[in-house]
Amino acid sequence: MLLDFARLGPWRVALIVIALLVGAYLLLPILLIIALSFGSSQWLQFPPPGWTLRWYEDLFEDPEWIASFLTSFQIAAVVTVLSVGIGLMASFGLTRGTFRGRAALRALFLTPMILPVVVLAVALYAFFLRLHLNGTFVGFVLAHLVIALPFSIIAISNALERFDRDIETAAIVCGASPLEAKIRVTLPGIRLGLVSAAIFSFLASWDEVVIAIFMASPDLQTLPVRIFGALRQDLSPVIAAVSTLLIALTAALMALAAFFRKDARS
Amino acid sequence: MTVTDVPIAAPSPVLAAARRRGRGFAPVLPALALVVVVFVIPVLALLLRSVLEPEPGLQNYAAFFASTTYLKVLGNTFLVAGTVTVATVLLGFPVAWFLAIAPAFWSRLLFAIVILSMWTNLLARTYAWMVLLQRTGIINRTLMNLGLISEPLPLINNLAGVTIGMTYIMLPFMILPLHATIRSIDPAIFQAASLCGASRFQAFTRVMLPLTASGIAAGALMVFVMSLGYFITPALLGGTSNMMLAELIAQLVQSLLDWGLAGAAALVLLVITLAIYMIQLRFFGFGQARS
Repeated sequence: MLLDFARLGPWRVALIVIALLVGAYLLLPILLIIALSFGSSQWLQFPPPGWTLRWYEDLFEDPEWIASFLTSFQIAAVVTVLSVGIGLMASFGLTRGTFRGRAALRALFLTPMILPVVVLAVALYAFFLRLHLNGTFVGFVLAHLVIALPFSIIAISNALERFDRDIETAAIVCGASPLEAKIRVTLPGIRLGLVSAAIFSFLASWDEVVIAIFMASPDLQTLPVRIFGALRQDLSPVIAAVSTLLIALTAALMALAAFFRKDARS
Repeated sequence: MTVTDVPIAAPSPVLAAARRRGRGFAPVLPALALVVVVFVIPVLALLLRSVLEPEPGLQNYAAFFASTTYLKVLGNTFLVAGTVTVATVLLGFPVAWFLAIAPAFWSRLLFAIVILSMWTNLLARTYAWMVLLQRTGIINRTLMNLGLISEPLPLINNLAGVTIGMTYIMLPFMILPLHATIRSIDPAIFQAASLCGASRFQAFTRVMLPLTASGIAAGALMVFVMSLGYFITPALLGGTSNMMLAELIAQLVQSLLDWGLAGAAALVLLVITLAIYMIQLRFFGFGQARS
């Protein structure tokens, strides 16, 4: 009755109306940003009086926007590599190790994901003041690595737990060294977990803003810090152009993740 | 949490302990070193400053709980987090229900919208709401053109703006776990209810709600605790006179340089957050919504 859409009776109308409204609530702001980024009104009139690529030109001609884009990309790329590498090792230890306290250790590794990020941001800002790491590339990478690692460990541990270890053992029986078996049999077997670890680690760093606001210096700003600063000044359509590019990137990464999932199924 | 159970020491005693404890500890070391150095030590150091600065003692906590300004911030934080939680339950439940039973095309479409909204950059989404909620923004202009209001509504730089923006951001975190809960219900249960003569309303209140209660509670706790510590959206959509706790911590550090009081406020936020996670861990298992 209640789980059969055709037999919901009058309730079905209510459900459809609410679903439509919430769908619009979730989707329209995103469409609005995209429309405004191509709209010719500096004052964000909607519907736009005309269409233009001016805000994208402004964006690509501004060396500061380009610099922050490159900074964010470099930090996220380094964080992704380190997060997948360290996360892979930690996941092997957590899923196959026999030492005591594995559950506690796993909980510790996941804690940075759970705690309010503002607390970590303030704490790291104070800590990095002493080490002179605020506003440095190394500082950003270390901070974002702590945020990204939980995603990596969750994705890879899950993949390792599902992977049939007998296949690895079979490779060793057939003459492979344990390391060779891990690299040539186990890693391809858990590639889906590795890819999602990489995507989530990249996004964790790329979208991270709270820690970055505290750590950034005028010389080294990530893209979210620059957007945050711009939002505090005015609501220029250039921000709509940046946001649209970010939405496109998100959609592309989602499509990539979906592609790999399909690939794994077939 | 479990911070104290973990060996925090120089590598060699750790390795010795590992040998006693069993195999497979070495690969965990890089991650452990990172989390201890870049997470555990800085956070503990910040919390320690709350009882050490400007002088040893609990005066920071006394000052925090004696100040009407700070208590108001705490009140604002609970008010917004509570309102957002209730709003996400009321909006999220029907949507999760729709997703679970609607024809495949519509359910897939709405599901894609939920995921896209969740993954879209937080600042981009907050920017959209800043544009929408302005005095001369689209919402106010539309309402005035329709003749529903004569003066623009104050929708931004106050708690109303924060609540609207945060409900938007938190909705997916309620919809996704609830969707999983509703999908796991066996439809035969409702056939049984129907055969026994239950009306739709009775089936809803006496079968569906009890079966989804734990999912609702888990989602609500998750949204509530995430809202408590939220910084960006309140900082951009809220006003300076009505702060939330995360903004207060940031301001104590950035403008007032009062590290002792900031540490105290951080501990208050951490204690509330951990207490709620303990409840969740105890009654509903762990991390349903995020994994």
